[in-house]
Amino acid sequence: MMHILDLQFGERIVTLMAALVLVLQIAMVAQRWIVLHIRIFAAQSFCLAMIAATIAWFNHAPHIYIAAALTLVVKVILVPILFERLMVKMEIHEEIEPFVNVPISVLIAGGLTLVGYVVAESFYKPDETGLGHNALAVAISLFLIGFFTMINRRKALTQVLALLSLENGLFLAAISLTYGMPLIVELGILFDVLVAAMVMGILVYRIRETFESMDVSLLRRLRG
Amino acid sequence: MDRLLLIALLLIPIATAVASFVARRRAVMELANLAGFAAVFVVAIALGAQVLDFKTVSIANGFFYADALSALVILLTASVALICATYSIGYLRSDEQSGELGDDATGKEQLALLRMYYTLTPLFVFSMLFMAVANNLGVMWAAMEATTLASIFLVTFYGKVNSLEAAWKYAMIGGVGLSMALFGTLVAYYAGHNLTGSAAISGLNWSVLAQHAAQLDKTSMRLAFVLILMGYGTKAGLVPMHTWKPDAYSQAPVPTAALLSTAMMNCALYGLIRFYILTSRCVGAQYPSRLLLLFGLLSMGIAIPFVLVQTHYRRLLAYSTIDHAGIMTTALGIGGILGSFGLMLHMTFHTLAKTLLFLGAGNIYQHFRTNQFADIKGGVLRAMPLTGVIFLLAMLAIVGVPPFGLFQSEFIILRAAFEGGHLFAGVLFVLFGVGVFVGLLLHVIGMVLGPRGDAPVAPPRPWRNGSMLALAIVLVVIGFWVPAPVFELIRNAAQVVSGQ
Repeated sequence: MMHILDLQFGERIVTLMAALVLVLQIAMVAQRWIVLHIRIFAAQSFCLAMIAATIAWFNHAPHIYIAAALTLVVKVILVPILFERLMVKMEIHEEIEPFVNVPISVLIAGGLTLVGYVVAESFYKPDETGLGHNALAVAISLFLIGFFTMINRRKALTQVLALLSLENGLFLAAISLTYGMPLIVELGILFDVLVAAMVMGILVYRIRETFESMDVSLLRRLRG
Repeated sequence: MDRLLLIALLLIPIATAVASFVARRRAVMELANLAGFAAVFVVAIALGAQVLDFKTVSIANGFFYADALSALVILLTASVALICATYSIGYLRSDEQSGELGDDATGKEQLALLRMYYTLTPLFVFSMLFMAVANNLGVMWAAMEATTLASIFLVTFYGKVNSLEAAWKYAMIGGVGLSMALFGTLVAYYAGHNLTGSAAISGLNWSVLAQHAAQLDKTSMRLAFVLILMGYGTKAGLVPMHTWKPDAYSQAPVPTAALLSTAMMNCALYGLIRFYILTSRCVGAQYPSRLLLLFGLLSMGIAIPFVLVQTHYRRLLAYSTIDHAGIMTTALGIGGILGSFGLMLHMTFHTLAKTLLFLGAGNIYQHFRTNQFADIKGGVLRAMPLTGVIFLLAMLAIVGVPPFGLFQSEFIILRAAFEGGHLFAGVLFVLFGVGVFVGLLLHVIGMVLGPRGDAPVAPPRPWRNGSMLALAIVLVVIGFWVPAPVFELIRNAAQVVSGQ
């Protein structure tokens, strides 16, 4: 029972979860089906909510529980359901077709993870003890890989998912740097994420209706 | 009294949106918008007066907070919103008649579109006002994101292929930009969280951070400022994050484009200014100043070739807005009391002149039904005299011809540059200014003056011309005489920016 309160044990759980989040992000880069993309996003968000809950437990900070619960509701349940419904409605069966092929994409994602670790080093202060120091490196990597995935995708829906995973990186950064933003801010951010998912979902649907494709590389009429 | 003002400022647009959403007739929606924005305008004036008396107004333990800087941004937003609401009535009625909103004989399709417009516009204005009164930097970010979300479907209003493309770019580029801004906000919170305790809501309050700015973690604040500059710079349309702007402005309905290019740009710059104040108090003015000068001058310079080769007049206006975003960012970079004063003055004048230009462009588009200079071939002045005169006046104002206000503000910024020792920046400022001046005037004079051609004389349009005439009078008068309270507000806002 002792180790439930042991900070080092908490640190290990957070590190393990953060590693899982990173693995899922790279899996997102590697896979080829949009449905899988949505589910990996849900799984990743679930891990994030667990990290938040762990930190809330070990730091006795009840407001983080609320942030964790909201993440669970919005990013693990509502947004994936919304997108899966959208897919059914649009009858999408096609593959993702990235610009850069999968092996090279994974290599680039690995490189970006290294960059994330180097950047996170500059935040590390040896006198500061606390949970989630390793998580910061993961957070910055998520942010960078999210950027890369956005550039690397042709399909509108997968770009939105990449944008949301980039936001997941920010959530993790907030958790690991400052044990989360103030609750009111978390509320505002999650509300925006939910509305953004809906708005962009509708936009994707209309693009698909108009162009009979979600390939955003077709969107190049406006120039100069 | 002061409590009521801030609450009213936020509640009125929401009430307007609800009223328009439930309304069943076009006239009710128009009336709701007109009355709502008139009320917001009155409240904004009252708030300005209050801020002049008390310096700051805050309620709910400082959750909402307004000083002269916020009051000025609010006043400008409210003015543009009121003018655009008046103009929209005539503009959308004309669109409905000419079948731009669909050809449904029962009129249901058109009514649904109008309902969307009249509901989303107040929400869009609400999020801008909310941004200007939010003290908490995280809440401010959420409000900035809300401005994007509320305006995406205004950009796709006409439902054309091009408007979908424009909205998609706007959503994606804006989304990436704002995620950087969120990262910046987070890092700023980290820079101060040891000071204020991490669980406290006030830990992200601007007024609290500004008091303790000197004790914030310096490395973190530097990083935060870069991220914020990229993030809010995207919304303000600084090069190289500007690419969504010409698309969104040329596809959105004209009143929305006017709001996007004046009120929303002001809000984005407002966010940037708040972080500039924190950063310059924390690490000294030199660091943020260099970055701002770089991005500001880059935006001014890159805008020139696009202005020169432009064939589409609404895209031309967008590049002019990018140029002015650059001018204001440069002014912020020059800093000091004089630079800040030039910045605030410029923001005020630019807001009036650019709104007028967009409304004029709307009139021209609805009459000639083309976006190309080449297809108009001159003669706007003869086909539609009032619009032609006002468009030309506003264009002279925007390029900074005396006696219009933008001449004064640009001159002040230039003086601040030379007095502050930014010689190189000052010289570039003049060069780029001349480039844009030539480009804009060549295009517009060709379009407005000249023989009429075969275009018919335009019918009278009371709503559109009435609102334009009112704004044009304000623009001309304010070039000679800025009313004392407004001047005082601008001066106080400059003091907030420069911290003197």
